[in-house]
Amino acid sequence: MWNGIKNFLSGKSSREVAKGRLHLVLAHDRTGLEGAKLQEMRDEIAAVIAKYVPIDADAVEIQIEKTRSRETQLTVSSAISPRNA
Amino acid sequence: MGRAIVITSGKGGVGKTTTTANLGAALAALGHSVVLVDADIGLRNLDVVMGLENRIVYHSVDVVRGKCSVQKALIKDRRMENLWLLPASQTDDKDAMSPDDMRALVLELKATHDFVIIDCPAGIEQGFKNAIAGADEAVVVATPEVSSIRDADRVVGLLAAAEVPARLVVNRISANLVKRGDMLSQVDVIEILALDLLGAIPLDDQVIATTNKGVPAVIEGKSLAAKEFIRIARRLAGLEADEAKAVGFFTRIGRALGLSATPA
Repeated sequence: MWNGIKNFLSGKSSREVAKGRLHLVLAHDRTGLEGAKLQEMRDEIAAVIAKYVPIDADAVEIQIEKTRSRETQLTVSSAISPRNA
Repeated sequence: MGRAIVITSGKGGVGKTTTTANLGAALAALGHSVVLVDADIGLRNLDVVMGLENRIVYHSVDVVRGKCSVQKALIKDRRMENLWLLPASQTDDKDAMSPDDMRALVLELKATHDFVIIDCPAGIEQGFKNAIAGADEAVVVATPEVSSIRDADRVVGLLAAAEVPARLVVNRISANLVKRGDMLSQVDVIEILALDLLGAIPLDDQVIATTNKGVPAVIEGKSLAAKEFIRIARRLAGLEADEAKAVGFFTRIGRALGLSATPA
């Protein structure tokens, strides 16, 4: 998500910015998931993780990217809360 | 039996019709017999781009409805030895043609011609489905812009799902803008779309001028764009190797099967 903004701030050429943005947009398009569906999936995954380890459900993040091998990769990341928190 | 090639892009205005006209003329100049089929029912334009608009009597929907034979609906391009046009109807009836109708039409044309080049409408709805129905292969036209490439990627996914192999033509490349870092290069575009490149057409004022006159740039001759169209036609005819091979073939197949599919 932030790649486009990062590119802009780092003064990359518009050509590089376009490439970065397209990689992200196409990765999302290829999943065929609308924003709301993605949100729903995120919430469900967060709920499943929360069953086993303590997490902040709002901090679960889903990233969809085109990888170098030109496949689309979905990454779920979540910080686990400290045990005694 | 000839080959049916659909020229498609997703986005409108990127040069599908111009590409169809020029590749058709170039293939005919190489000695092949070529039929151009305008699949854009309701918004036909291949006739004006070819400069044949005043000679239309029948169109593809007349053929489908049995009003005339397909041979009778073909317009011969008098400037060339082996070039014909099958115009589209201007009806706004969405169901004027079905994919089965198109398949039958293309099959009949393939029996009598070496190449059937199908000019696909913009979009991915019924007109697109009809246009790709009879196609053995596809040429995806994209300009080096984010909107065009995004839409091309959608179309490439749909073509893979329909098992129509596709190759890429990048249209309206400006070497100066690429050098300045303000335009995606054809290498960038093939990397993003993971398609083999048939060729890259330079941005060329001549194409605008010849289109104004209803003459494909290839027939007029000398422009840079015309030269590249001729090179692409030679590649389509198997006379030259592809410009660049992308490695993403199995990725496309995998995509057609959905996210979880493992590449073969």
